[in-house]
Amino acid sequence: MSRLTPADLDTMSKGPYDKPRDWIKVGMSSCGIAAGAEDVFNFFIEEVKKRNLQIEIKKCGCAGMCYAEPLVEVSVEGLPSVTYGTVNKDVATKILEKHVISKMLVNDYIFDVLI
Amino acid sequence: MYTKVILVKDTDLKREDRTREFYTRLLDYLREVNLHSQIQVVRVADIGVYEKGLVVKILPNKITYVNVQDADIKRIVDAAFQEEKIIEDMVFKPKSKQFRIVLRNCGKIDPESIEDYIASGGYLALKKVLGELGQQKLIEEIKVSGIRGRGGAGYPTWMKWNFAREVASAEKFVICNADEGDPGAYMDRSVLEGDPHSVIEGLIIAAFAIGASKGYFYIRAEYPLAVERIEKAIKQAYDYGLLGKNILGSSFSLDIDIRLGAGAFVCGEETALISSIEGKRGTPHPRPPYPSVKGLWGKPTVINNVETLANIAVIIAKGGKWFAQIGTGTSKGTKVFAVTGKIKNSGLVEIAMGATLREIVVDICGGTLSGKPIKAVQTGGPSGGVIPKELLDTPVDYENLQKLGSIMGSGGMIVMDDDDCMVDIPKFYLGFCVEESCGKCAPCRIGGFQMLNYLKKISEGKGKLEDLGQLRRISQAMQKASLCGLGQTASNPVVSTLKYFEQEYNEHILNKRCPAGKCSSLVTYRIIEDKCKRCGICFNNCPVKAISGGKEEGYAIIQDKCIKCGRCFDVCKFKAINKK
Repeated sequence: MSRLTPADLDTMSKGPYDKPRDWIKVGMSSCGIAAGAEDVFNFFIEEVKKRNLQIEIKKCGCAGMCYAEPLVEVSVEGLPSVTYGTVNKDVATKILEKHVISKMLVNDYIFDVLI
Repeated sequence: MYTKVILVKDTDLKREDRTREFYTRLLDYLREVNLHSQIQVVRVADIGVYEKGLVVKILPNKITYVNVQDADIKRIVDAAFQEEKIIEDMVFKPKSKQFRIVLRNCGKIDPESIEDYIASGGYLALKKVLGELGQQKLIEEIKVSGIRGRGGAGYPTWMKWNFAREVASAEKFVICNADEGDPGAYMDRSVLEGDPHSVIEGLIIAAFAIGASKGYFYIRAEYPLAVERIEKAIKQAYDYGLLGKNILGSSFSLDIDIRLGAGAFVCGEETALISSIEGKRGTPHPRPPYPSVKGLWGKPTVINNVETLANIAVIIAKGGKWFAQIGTGTSKGTKVFAVTGKIKNSGLVEIAMGATLREIVVDICGGTLSGKPIKAVQTGGPSGGVIPKELLDTPVDYENLQKLGSIMGSGGMIVMDDDDCMVDIPKFYLGFCVEESCGKCAPCRIGGFQMLNYLKKISEGKGKLEDLGQLRRISQAMQKASLCGLGQTASNPVVSTLKYFEQEYNEHILNKRCPAGKCSSLVTYRIIEDKCKRCGICFNNCPVKAISGGKEEGYAIIQDKCIKCGRCFDVCKFKAINKK
């Protein structure tokens, strides 16, 4: 990495943040990890590899809804971005099979809609 | 592909959940009119509205209808397909919304990636400060914004910076106070873990404002993940030349280090924090001289809280005037609260100052988990007070909370319902302060201990009415004569409960009764014979074998043996145990 100049900062700030590609974000702060987010994160990484899905798995901080940890935000083209809560491996499987592959929202685990 | 999504959720907790039933009806109707391939119906876990019956939200327009009946299905589906149409008699427009400045990136960016932070506009404020503003204009901008310290006392940030800037000294320091210690408060941890660069950027700007060349993060060792992420973030900032020599090609240089605190509550007090960084015992010393003039190693030092620093970059980027529009007359901007206790949706809430307590705990957090009415809300941790439910409509800002006998504090907010005893709560907080008192000054060391003794006596039913006067007298002495904030505010929970819930103290003293059933010495458990089905579950669960009898003759509690743990009360399925 090289030292930045003010001009570099300008270019980087226009950078490809949250590009329209599909992604899944797992909340990995203390509260999320305590509720099992690490397992969910690793599970997503493994499954996406196994099923050869075109979706990026990312970490993020706590979105504030501590009562519903682990939180997983999913953004897939053509669907509103939603936050799933109390996600475990079963729910994670549903998210991949239903939301990511079949492009349908999963019942019963949505806590927030962001669009 | 679906063009619309309808979210459904039954928000009425008092009856059986009708979400599934309504979901099926809605689906049936959609099949009937052959729209089921265009609308997806989804049951959700939380729809953001509480106690408004069946709630339906239509996406992508985000229109919410409340108290929906089965007969409304046709209307809703019709309206969903007409862009402009809104059914006025059912539509719900939320009054209170979160407003995120400090938590702007939390849950959005990868906290371990500086590129993510920069791509969301990070470090542009630093560029602006170094390139255009300069010290004077920077402080002016912060002054215009009106931001006050978010750590508790609410001292104007620009004044701290200005004092330190005006002192001539070859060496100056900035410190980020991340020694968050209030029970139930964890906003700072979340910001450090979720968006560490925003705090680092704020600290660099603060350092530039006063001309410091060295900065410290004082984080408690109990936050290992926060420490890890800040460490990583500092390293990334060094690699990118955002820390170290000649930041962004300017003449300004800054080094930042981390100092770990061992978790002493008093070390959140600035003079004690300084002692701790210097390697001394973490005890406060008298002010003035204030740290802005004579702080770390005797040099001018600015100490800012995590949340304050996380605000700075946004203030610079959007301008002090923009920031000053948000909030109330004397309290600008937003505040993050960690709402915990008997609350449905515990978590972090960031709202503009001036929102009422009711908006926070009822509208945003959904009221109590048990469905019982809220009894009181405690703000500000052990230094704050208890605010009764009658005053929930008070707008939250520094002055208002102080008027009510509480403080803003760092932002812990603990919600209590009828099961919480207003003698037990202050006893807990005071116990905390007595444990955490450094013992340097007598009012705090002795006063706290004595007050705690009185509270213990009262909770055991051995109190006298005179004790209340004594509690008030000691608390006054502590407020006036203690050396630091810990002692000065330690009695706040007691004073405020005495003010609003004196009746409950009297009940304990005169009638030897704890209305909430919390003070174990004053509670007796009895089995109600008429209701008892003789299942024996209490008998099997009693840890001290204080229940006698059998399935034939029925059961009874042996009062002499009972330790009042409440186990029998909890396990009885027939509510046959009376707690009084």
